[in-house]
Amino acid sequence: MSSMTTTAAPASTAPGSFGRMVRSILKSRTATFGFALVILNILLALLAPVLTSYDPIATDAMNALQESSGAHLLGTDALGRDTLTRTLFGGQYALAISFTATALTVLLGSVIAGIAAYRGGIVDDIITRVLDSVLAVPAILSMLVVVTIFGTGPWVIILAVMVVYTGGVTRIVRATVMDVLPKDYITAAKARGEGMFSILAREVFPNVLDIILVEFAMRASWVVLLISSLSFLGFGASPPTPDWGLMVAENRNLMSVVPLATLSPIVALATLIVGLNLAADGLAKSLGVDRMKEVLG
Amino acid sequence: MMDSRIEASSGRLSRRTLLAGSALLLAPAVLAACGVSKSPSAAGAATGTARQGGTLRIARPPASKAETLDPASSLSAYEYLGALYNRLVKLSPTGEILPDLAESWSLSADAKTWTFLLRKGVTWHNGKSFTAQDVIFSIQHILDPATKSPQAGVLSPFVDGNSITARDANTVVFALKSPNSEFASLLTGYNCYIIPAGSAATIGASGIGTGPFKLKRFTAAGPGAVVRNENYFGEKPKLDSIEFSSIADTQARVNALLAGQVDLIAQTNLDFATAKTVSASSVATVSSVKNAQWYPVPMLNTSEQFKDADIRRAFAHAYNPDEVFKLAVQGNGTIAHNNPVPPTEGYYLDYGLGYDPDKSKSLLKAKGFSSFDVPIYTSSYDPVLSPLALALQSSMKSANINLTVTNSPADSYFTDVWMKKSLMTTYWYTGRPIDQLLNQIFRTGSSYNETAYSNRTFDQTLDAARATVDAGKRKTLYQDAQKILIDDGGSLTPFFSDRITGLSKKVVNYSEHGFEFDYINIGLLA
Amino acid sequence: MLTFFAKRIGWSVFTVLLATVLVFSAIQSLPGDAASQILGQNATPSAVATMRQQLGLDDPPVSRFVSWLGNALQGNFGNSLVSGGSVGAEVGSALVNTSLLAGITIVIGVLLSLVLGLVAGLTRDRWPDISISTLALVGMSVPEFVVATVLVLLFSIYIPLFPAVVIAGQNASVAEILPSVWLPAGALICVLAAYIIRMMRTSVIDVMDSEFVRTAILKGNSTPRIVFKHILPSAMLPTLNVIAMNVAWLIGGVVVVESIFNYPGIGTLMIRSVQTRDLPAILLITVMSALTYVVCNLLADFAAFLLNPRLRYPRSAK
Repeated sequence: MSSMTTTAAPASTAPGSFGRMVRSILKSRTATFGFALVILNILLALLAPVLTSYDPIATDAMNALQESSGAHLLGTDALGRDTLTRTLFGGQYALAISFTATALTVLLGSVIAGIAAYRGGIVDDIITRVLDSVLAVPAILSMLVVVTIFGTGPWVIILAVMVVYTGGVTRIVRATVMDVLPKDYITAAKARGEGMFSILAREVFPNVLDIILVEFAMRASWVVLLISSLSFLGFGASPPTPDWGLMVAENRNLMSVVPLATLSPIVALATLIVGLNLAADGLAKSLGVDRMKEVLG
Repeated sequence: MMDSRIEASSGRLSRRTLLAGSALLLAPAVLAACGVSKSPSAAGAATGTARQGGTLRIARPPASKAETLDPASSLSAYEYLGALYNRLVKLSPTGEILPDLAESWSLSADAKTWTFLLRKGVTWHNGKSFTAQDVIFSIQHILDPATKSPQAGVLSPFVDGNSITARDANTVVFALKSPNSEFASLLTGYNCYIIPAGSAATIGASGIGTGPFKLKRFTAAGPGAVVRNENYFGEKPKLDSIEFSSIADTQARVNALLAGQVDLIAQTNLDFATAKTVSASSVATVSSVKNAQWYPVPMLNTSEQFKDADIRRAFAHAYNPDEVFKLAVQGNGTIAHNNPVPPTEGYYLDYGLGYDPDKSKSLLKAKGFSSFDVPIYTSSYDPVLSPLALALQSSMKSANINLTVTNSPADSYFTDVWMKKSLMTTYWYTGRPIDQLLNQIFRTGSSYNETAYSNRTFDQTLDAARATVDAGKRKTLYQDAQKILIDDGGSLTPFFSDRITGLSKKVVNYSEHGFEFDYINIGLLA
Repeated sequence: MLTFFAKRIGWSVFTVLLATVLVFSAIQSLPGDAASQILGQNATPSAVATMRQQLGLDDPPVSRFVSWLGNALQGNFGNSLVSGGSVGAEVGSALVNTSLLAGITIVIGVLLSLVLGLVAGLTRDRWPDISISTLALVGMSVPEFVVATVLVLLFSIYIPLFPAVVIAGQNASVAEILPSVWLPAGALICVLAAYIIRMMRTSVIDVMDSEFVRTAILKGNSTPRIVFKHILPSAMLPTLNVIAMNVAWLIGGVVVVESIFNYPGIGTLMIRSVQTRDLPAILLITVMSALTYVVCNLLADFAAFLLNPRLRYPRSAK
């Protein structure tokens, strides 16, 4: 009986479904385009040291404020740093920080959601109320407090993102887990005497992985935006980090002198986010998840 | 008794020449006319005939919500002060001490008694007459510990509030605790504006002064306005009124200028690129004041990293000033070689610690460091701060010094970082008379001692200089003090920078030097 | 249904209270306090001690919170530790400014995006849909600091149609601020509209595919009638939640846009208050934002109840 109910579980992540997912994504032109943009961003970031011979933070007084040339394809900024190099390395920074932050947020949110849904009752109530209260505090206030307590640095920014977004992730995943919990295969696992974490890890999460994946892709685009906005305001990355938001803030006064120094990070930022958004759409469609419901988290 | 104004006319080493320069600053119009200006735009502020009347709109960075119109306060609303109040004396563009509320002054041969003869027939904005009692009250107010005035630390070592007397309604006599030949120059400070007797509790909001403009409204860190004082004792201002607004973001301030919403942006040194944008616009232009900003990098002497003078010296030798100067301010200004006294200052000592990475390394090695790591703090508060930190970071690598640049929010930079972190970038206006500069910023325990520098010999040298009446000997002593400071001191001073101010093309006769802003002649084109 | 809403309201009050407790505790753990922030460079240990006493910072946190709460329940939120003025007035004027900006953004943004979303949904995969969807995607993908910067360059510097910044200050009247509201509102609308358009488009497509709209079409109802009678109300339902969330977001302070336009709103006040550790101001801002958050959610639930046929009809059928 138990074997029957287990196989009856929705097999969204069963072997072979990955191939189906990829095929479904490739069928949609926009989704393919989205994934291509994200992969392009990742490749450019990874290959940054190969693609350019300049150092993203070394200043060069003799070559400041250059327009596009053979030596500097996208020109240089006020400190003589190569804009192309900084934009490429900016991709490393943006992807590393925002993917780490998103992954940790989604992981934490899912675990909390799992516990809340599984335990139910007072535990669920407390978790839900506390997280709702965190959501009721303006995001910028939460982030500001984190940054003021811990100073700046990549891990502080990641922590700030987690404080702001964990509540939303938990809400979405909890609702999905609640749908899964009454299923027979969960009852069966309970009957077998499996513990909460074992059931969550082995029965529940594999069956809500589609939601979690879409959640990751969608949150990633928000996190990229949020981190660049923080940097723009001066609460995020410190100079000379080649952070895209910081680059826009540093160079926007140079618009009439070296416009490429501002436009390059903007274009990079926009392509990554467009890519992530289209990828999230495609992923949601191929997995049969209503992405718009996700937004409500 | 030797009249300082007589002394002033007696040759090269006179007070006039000695002080020329501390304000250092030729009027921008003069600069432009002589082609001296190296600013991106060759044109300085326009000169010409201003029409009578009109409203000038000035944007300024928002100060604290606790800011006040009390000039003595450390939170005084700086841009209002010169419009609302007068001091006893003021500085001319060339650094002479000029009469303001005092018509003349004299000091005794031992430099212990100073007598100021006050202007007659001056009235306060509320109609009351200005008298010697107001002057006594104002100085006592500065010295009152409850006021927490930054100028108290400068004056209190030698001024006793109880020893200021009114010989008559128009004569004030200061019996100093110790001789001071520089006293008058210290009264040019922007905390030394004279307020009505008994107004300590109300002046912060009332703004009642004797100045060319009267207060119309004022909001801390917000908008405000002043209108022409028809009863002003001096030449009447051209403008009918000045409106102030607060804009936090530097770029937003520039945008307001370019969009024609404001006519002048105060306390904002435009960076090279922004200056280029502004001068290219059809509505605005820029004006440059030579060496107007001093960009020190204080090394906190009480910090673990910088308590050793050899380490501080290693830092002074570690960077290439030419490179840092070019990167941070595109060569607009003057290289300083770590002397905080501008070269145009009469007391200037031509001495400095130059670039010598090998010496820097050997100094560090002697203290057991093969390399040295320290964070350097910076902020978007001023456009030069971050480029300066990055240029130093880049340059100091040659001396095995690794700086980690750390950005800090502009709004809290001067409360959370300044005087708290071991290494940071900051700036001052130049234009402090030498005695004010050295005593206020480097003397043991003084209010703006940002390096927490403490050196008895240095303090004693300053005391000796103040007490010396002979101008030549005094100059030697101030130069001795500079030498001590450079060799042992806490601050790196890579350069002085020109200040580039953005203003509307409608504005004529804008002139600012040091802490002096010409509110009388500035006006709008017909 | 009444008990459902009574319970929701009870939880909402609890949420606001808990949010305040969280913020209060977080502020306690910030380095430095208002005394040292106000004194700045004059912060000698004795001066800080005196000022701490004056500001009542020496009492234990719990008793300070309890006394704050007691006063707050009577409508007295205390005085700013920095300016000394009533935080009610200070936060109030910032809130009025923010509400003005948020109100204009919501009204224009929602109307615009409902129309665009509807058009996109009705013309699914044809050129109006493709152009609208592309625009929405761009709106979602370009950071608001870029949109805001471009708007200033275009519409107040190159073509001087609107003021570039608000220079009137925090206590300005609505009439003084109104001319400067349009550009910041424009920047926010770009961000806000993107989400609502996408939401609306998806909803319209869903409703169009549904049984009852197909029946209505078969019955020969005219297109406008179908749109207004059937599609719009049903599609509005999920959209309401997005709108509610965005209202809370707008009232919570849109710091980037406020900074670029020097807009004297709640976000700027919040940053300043955190930096000066001005606890009474921070707490009042928290209360107001949290209230907005829970009220918006309640209203969205209530509106959903009114709009949702499945929630309404079973009851009326009884």
